[in-house]
Amino acid sequence: MRAVRTALLLAVLFLILFPIAWMALTAFKRPVDLLGLSLFFTPTLDNFRTIFSHPWNIGRTLWNSTVVAALTVLIAIPAATLAAYSFSRFEMRFKTGLFFLILATQFVPAVVVVLPFYLLFRDLGLLDTHWALVIVNLAIVTPFAVWMLKGFLDAVPAESEEAALVDGATRLRVIIDIVVPMVWPGVVVTTVFCFVLTWNEFLFALILTRDDAVTLPVGITRFRTERGDLWELIAAAGILISIPMFFLSSIIQRHFVTGMTGGAVK
Amino acid sequence: MRDRTLKYLLLVPAAVLVLGTTLWPLAVSFTTSFRDWRLTRSVTPGPFIGFEHYITAATDDPEFLNALTVTATFVLIDVTLTLVCALGLALLLRRAGVLQSLTRAVLILPFAVSPALVGISFRFMFNAEMGVFTWLAGAVFPPLQGVVWLGDRSAALLVLVFSDAWRWVPYMTLVVLGGLAALPREPEEAARMDGAREWQVLRDVTLPALLPVLAIVGILKTVFALKMFDQVVTLTGGGPGSSTVTLAYLVYSIAFRWYDMGYASAVAWILTAMLMGLAVWYTRLVLRKPDA
Repeated sequence: MRAVRTALLLAVLFLILFPIAWMALTAFKRPVDLLGLSLFFTPTLDNFRTIFSHPWNIGRTLWNSTVVAALTVLIAIPAATLAAYSFSRFEMRFKTGLFFLILATQFVPAVVVVLPFYLLFRDLGLLDTHWALVIVNLAIVTPFAVWMLKGFLDAVPAESEEAALVDGATRLRVIIDIVVPMVWPGVVVTTVFCFVLTWNEFLFALILTRDDAVTLPVGITRFRTERGDLWELIAAAGILISIPMFFLSSIIQRHFVTGMTGGAVK
Repeated sequence: MRDRTLKYLLLVPAAVLVLGTTLWPLAVSFTTSFRDWRLTRSVTPGPFIGFEHYITAATDDPEFLNALTVTATFVLIDVTLTLVCALGLALLLRRAGVLQSLTRAVLILPFAVSPALVGISFRFMFNAEMGVFTWLAGAVFPPLQGVVWLGDRSAALLVLVFSDAWRWVPYMTLVVLGGLAALPREPEEAARMDGAREWQVLRDVTLPALLPVLAIVGILKTVFALKMFDQVVTLTGGGPGSSTVTLAYLVYSIAFRWYDMGYASAVAWILTAMLMGLAVWYTRLVLRKPDA
């Protein structure tokens, strides 16, 4: 039994890590080394130099991804924090109905959201801009953020807030001075989670951008050219997309689960 | 300000975002789905034509039927595979051990990779000439030598499932592990004391207690499988033929290759209706919890 378990776990480790390792190796190969599947080759940094220079200019794409993800969380997180606080601390009418709405929006397919926005942005001349992407990404990120932050706020006791309220502080002061610092780790986790979601988003970027505002996930498809697929460049760009996300998701690993399941599983 | 007003004011910014970015487009595509609106003919919305698009989809569109079949097949295989593997792996990882903690530490990595990148990487690794998985499959199971994975209708769908499972199984394992950790140990130990074998403990004690978590995993995975899009674009391109065209990909094709906004909205709404059914079921499950 023990041997079977060990063998199974080794197989799982291999399946998880091998594709990542293989793409990482490919990023350092010359095109001629691709065909032989060789593990031993002279590594080169040329692919990284190529993707950062003309005509690929991946630096620009990297910048687009960063700006879009940063703006999205900057708008979504404050709005979601206020809403989550209200949900967590107050009783209100239609609370269950509002909850259903927030949970249900996560089930809406992105493709149905993007059609009207495509037409609207076309009329407004906003296609291929950062703002177009930020607006549609808010559709995905905001409900997640509200739901996650409510879970974190529920875990923070309300006593110190009540003491401050008795002392005459206003509710808004209490939220800014007492609640936000106490729930700060939760805010960070939620921000990181939403940043990763936006960074990896593909469908919106594919439909709403062309040249100027292209983000990394769409950027990598540009290496599939008429001359064939430039796999070594795809791999190099893939590393560029993935390393920051590996780093971010590892630091919040334990909470990543809470994010997607909306706190249903802790 | 009184709390009675404030509690609603606090909801306003988030409500504006959700209304503006989700409910507004939902309403617009709903009305568009009853219009004849082809961008090649007119930039402004065309006339209302009733249920015509929905009737076309149901009775007279082989492409839609094909996408429905492909999506159903994909969901069925993908969800079953994810549930079984995530449960199995979580049970394996429940014990303490060096290999166990090592595996637990890397479980989050695939989920952090952009689905579009997963798709394009698997396209490379299943390439007929220089794909490492093509070679590996042939080396481990000689009958698979020479299979052109992305050139065969069934094989391409399986590769699509594999790429999706690679990203989701480790993540769902983390979810199941969370569920396992929350279970009290006593019932299992009591069963063992009574002389139950390990598989009996698993079947009669652990699995029933874990059922709510497995239901959540199952529903969530069904939702994401129904929406399958990114890897279809970057891994198979819907091919060969239209053997991997999912509903979401079909909507994209109708809207942005044929520019038929009316019909695209109708198909998108059929997909949305299915997902809303799941949303109701899921919300009941989640909101029933006493702490929610």
